[in-house]
Amino acid sequence: MPDSISSSLSSNTPASSNTTAAITGSGLSSDTSALVANHISKTVSGPNGDLTILSDASVTVETAEAIAIVGPSGSGKSTLLGLLAGLDSPTGGDVELLGQSLKGLDEDARARLRAGRVGFVFQSFQLLPGLSALENVMLPLELAGLDDARGPALEMLGQVGLADRAKHHPLQLSGGEQQRVAVARAFVSTPALLFADEPTGNLDGETGAVIIDLMFSLREQQQSALVLVTHDTALAQRCDRRYKMVSGVLSPESDASHPGGTA
Amino acid sequence: MSQSSVSSLPFALRSLTRDLRTGEIRVLALALIIAVASVTAVGFFTDRIGRAMERQAADVLAADLRIRAGQPLDPSIQTQALDRGLDTATTTQFPSVVLTNDDESQLVSVKAVSDGYPLRGTLSLARLDNTTESAPLAVPTPGSVWVDLQLMNTLSFTQGDVLQLGSREYTIERLIRFEPDRGENVFELAPRVMMNATDLEGSSLIGEGSRVRYALLMAGETGAIDDMRAWADDAHREDVTIEGVRDGSPQVNRALDRASVFLGLASVVTVLLAGAAIALAVRQCALKQADASAVMRTLGAARREVVAWLSWRLVVIALGASIIGIVVGYLAQMVLADLLKEWFRLALPLPGIKPPLIGLLTAFVTLAGFGLLPVVRAGTVPVMSVLQRDYTGLSASTWLVGLVGLVAAFFVVYLQSGNVQLSLIVIGGVVAMLSIFGIFGRAIIAGVRQLAGRRWRLSVAGLQRRAGSSVVQLSAFALGIMALLLISIVRVDVLKAWERDVPADAPNAFIVNIQPPQADPLVERLRGEGIDVPGAFPMVRARMVAINSDVTLRSDSSDEHQRRHARYEYNLTWSDTLPEASVVTKGEWWEPNDERPLLSLEQEWAERQGFNIGDTLTFRVGGQDTTGTVANFREVDWESFKVNFFAMGNAALLADMPHTFVTSFHIDRDFGAASSEWLRAFPGIVTLDVGAIIQRVKGLMERAALAVEYVFLFTLVAGVVVLLAAVQSSQGERIRESALLRSLGASHRQIRESILAEFAILGAISGFLAALFATIVAWAISRFVLELPFEFNPLLWVTGVVVGTLGISIAGYFATRKVMKTPPLIALRHT
Ligand SMILES: Nc1ncnc2c1ncn2[C@@H]1O[C@H](COP(=O)(O)OP(=O)(O)OP(=O)(O)O)[C@@H](O)[C@H]1O
Ligand SMILES: [Mg+2]
Repeated sequence: MPDSISSSLSSNTPASSNTTAAITGSGLSSDTSALVANHISKTVSGPNGDLTILSDASVTVETAEAIAIVGPSGSGKSTLLGLLAGLDSPTGGDVELLGQSLKGLDEDARARLRAGRVGFVFQSFQLLPGLSALENVMLPLELAGLDDARGPALEMLGQVGLADRAKHHPLQLSGGEQQRVAVARAFVSTPALLFADEPTGNLDGETGAVIIDLMFSLREQQQSALVLVTHDTALAQRCDRRYKMVSGVLSPESDASHPGGTA
Repeated sequence: MSQSSVSSLPFALRSLTRDLRTGEIRVLALALIIAVASVTAVGFFTDRIGRAMERQAADVLAADLRIRAGQPLDPSIQTQALDRGLDTATTTQFPSVVLTNDDESQLVSVKAVSDGYPLRGTLSLARLDNTTESAPLAVPTPGSVWVDLQLMNTLSFTQGDVLQLGSREYTIERLIRFEPDRGENVFELAPRVMMNATDLEGSSLIGEGSRVRYALLMAGETGAIDDMRAWADDAHREDVTIEGVRDGSPQVNRALDRASVFLGLASVVTVLLAGAAIALAVRQCALKQADASAVMRTLGAARREVVAWLSWRLVVIALGASIIGIVVGYLAQMVLADLLKEWFRLALPLPGIKPPLIGLLTAFVTLAGFGLLPVVRAGTVPVMSVLQRDYTGLSASTWLVGLVGLVAAFFVVYLQSGNVQLSLIVIGGVVAMLSIFGIFGRAIIAGVRQLAGRRWRLSVAGLQRRAGSSVVQLSAFALGIMALLLISIVRVDVLKAWERDVPADAPNAFIVNIQPPQADPLVERLRGEGIDVPGAFPMVRARMVAINSDVTLRSDSSDEHQRRHARYEYNLTWSDTLPEASVVTKGEWWEPNDERPLLSLEQEWAERQGFNIGDTLTFRVGGQDTTGTVANFREVDWESFKVNFFAMGNAALLADMPHTFVTSFHIDRDFGAASSEWLRAFPGIVTLDVGAIIQRVKGLMERAALAVEYVFLFTLVAGVVVLLAAVQSSQGERIRESALLRSLGASHRQIRESILAEFAILGAISGFLAALFATIVAWAISRFVLELPFEFNPLLWVTGVVVGTLGISIAGYFATRKVMKTPPLIALRHT
């Protein structure tokens, strides 16, 4: 594990990554998908009996592919994202994360599967308030068992333009800066798959755009697949494919993206 | 490298040093330090003072253990003591008559002492010519005697004079100013002549039929003393009297008992309070850690690793805080021990190893009890909470947390008290109290909301919105204030009881052996000198010769119990009225003119002897027998220092018997000078100065009172920490809420007023509840533990509410400063 991280980090010059991105960018050459969800559903028991908050959703994300999930508030986007990332278990169907079925895996096994290979960017940043920016970025590497997390983390902070704020604490950083630290934390372990839930939801338009550019360029460099939840249709357009979520029902969006669709 | 590095101690250490910057960890560490410091200091202190006080009590025996008998002691007893490594000395005490060169004679009590006497306490000596002592003497030189002031006053000696005792002459060597073990039976104390035990051999002093009391004094290690006592109890229970430090004078005993009850109570309360502060702080920490845990597990950490990491943090915090706490506790007790050294004639015994161990254990048990489950819960919070903030599903195990916490609290109280039953009662009481605080608190908050005007509505609404944490805070406040009120009531009770035990005007002088014709003139003379004399009581010296007429007691009986009764010389009195400071506990007091001969017995003594109401006891006075029926049992206040009798009769029983009179009173003037005049005017009377005994008891109580005040201080600090922890526990919520309110346009002033009002309301309610419970518990303690009459104190309620309102508002003011200082942007950003 450490080997793969360090080797990919050391080969991670913009030039070489870009070349790789150019070659494998289509994602078609990959033999395994980054993520496959087959007919997953989620039912929760509420005060008025059972409530289905997600029904029969199927998603496939190929290696290095970016997909967007759009939909109104409360439609179940975060629920789906959580199920795809293995943060929660579906009540029906199966998820295959990085080639490994999550069925039968307990929470810790799912966590181990994510360690060092899956990155997250959240709407509410979710930096640990007790840790400095650098320490926050070091965390995924430490969790993946890397002995020297400091070097790569500093380098990654440099890439998001915050090398000089390494010792600062989350509360001393602006929202945009916090989210940049979060992006650095998400990419520091060169994840094969990145989940982002409304990454710009708490930011103004301009700052949000900076974050999005940063995220997209890093994922290009590192060839990470991306599952992006957003309200923003323009942002969704930057992804390879889009899904629409309405009241817990997921459907691929084909019409709007294809100029020659049903119009 | 499959083992993730987060589970390791270094990671916990690193993240802890980072987190020490956060408020909760600091409060937790502070609470722990204070808990450990107070437990350790109280432990060190009670341990050392307790042992020092026992040594003081040992003065009264001049030993740690004393074995006495009416016949020479079996030499094997002393051998046993020596085998156990104990120091020993012997005393032999008997009445005799002293003759001077001027042919004056006086009945005296001779005490022949061996080398080493006294094993505990010190004799205070002076030369009779008032020159200073060149080399202090340990025991009288063979061929010489020491005499006390009383004999000096009666027979006026000077240094080097000779007195005749039995067939020999002895040089008077020293004047005894103070004899530690003198205060045995004040009525039997004739003036003292002390001589060397070696002079007894070959002398004719101890003749046939003389009343001799042989004593073996022992001192040494507690363990060896206990062992010796157990052996003696086993082997010689029947024929000797065994007295330990704790069987000493009732006054000293009661003082010690009350002191240890109070110190024990105070340290239990201190530990409970500190535990409450720790529980609050650790709960806060764990809540904060839940977010971090979810993020870490999203990024790939296993639950086990997160729990291990969080637990390691607790261990590191506990260790660090314990070490600091032990050092602080040690320093604190050192300062006090230094202050007290002046008071104690002896150096304080060195601190033991037990207190710091108990401090350490307390820290770990409290942290584990209150922290482990919250940590596990934090470690297993659903990871989905990173995506959906208000994801709940945590509250189910609150009961379990409480239960585990209670078990920990029980254990901690047990560590302090060493008494399972007491610990159960304390914990049960705390549970009942917290439940009632919870129920009442909720109800009162709801009630206040109904009554609140517009101005207060925001505050009360705030309280109710955070009902859960409000009730937790309220309970913590109430518990803290209650403990403070309780400890202050009990402290005052204890001090008052001591003051009452030995009032400033406690009798410090006794006159005995007053012949009947002397009684009235003597009392008149004393009154004429401005002395408040209650009167003179008749006293009849008697031996018991029969119980229920069929058991005849003989001093040569083969039955030891009978023999003892037969040998014992009773001092009886008679009266028509129940003496002051006595209460009839069984049977009826007699009518003044009852013709039947009746007896009244001191209850405890009578029960020990197996006497019952209706028994008949026959006493022999001189050559006459008189038989009375036991009419009642009476409780006697031995602490009053007034004249008390185990057995007393009515006039029908005793008035015709040969008797003398006795009286006691308080005198401020120099007793020696006054008494020598009385002795001249009323030949034959014996005057006794018990001022020294009273002074000693008073000194002991003063010291104990100082200890009480000191321990109270620690409880106070622990109480304040609970209040701080409770205020701190809601600070996060408050900061967010006030930021929100400010972003909605509320002014600083409005928010501060609202928060202060909220704290004031909480404070008033908790003060009221605290006063209620403090009253109940204080009543129970004074009734069942200290055995004092309870005085209801209405001021307590005022104090409770005022202290609650003010104290909590002040604490709240400091809390609001922090809330005000946090810019709303930062507060809102971090949600
Ligand atoms: N554990 C749960 N129990 C009950 N209801 C839930 C639970 N989790 C989610 N829901 C409900 O399911 C619905 C979908 O929630 P979700 O958070 O996925 O919406 P969302 O699309 O992410 O909305 P938003 O855009 O506002 O973040 C909501 O109505 C939510 O209240
Ligand atoms: Mg959402």
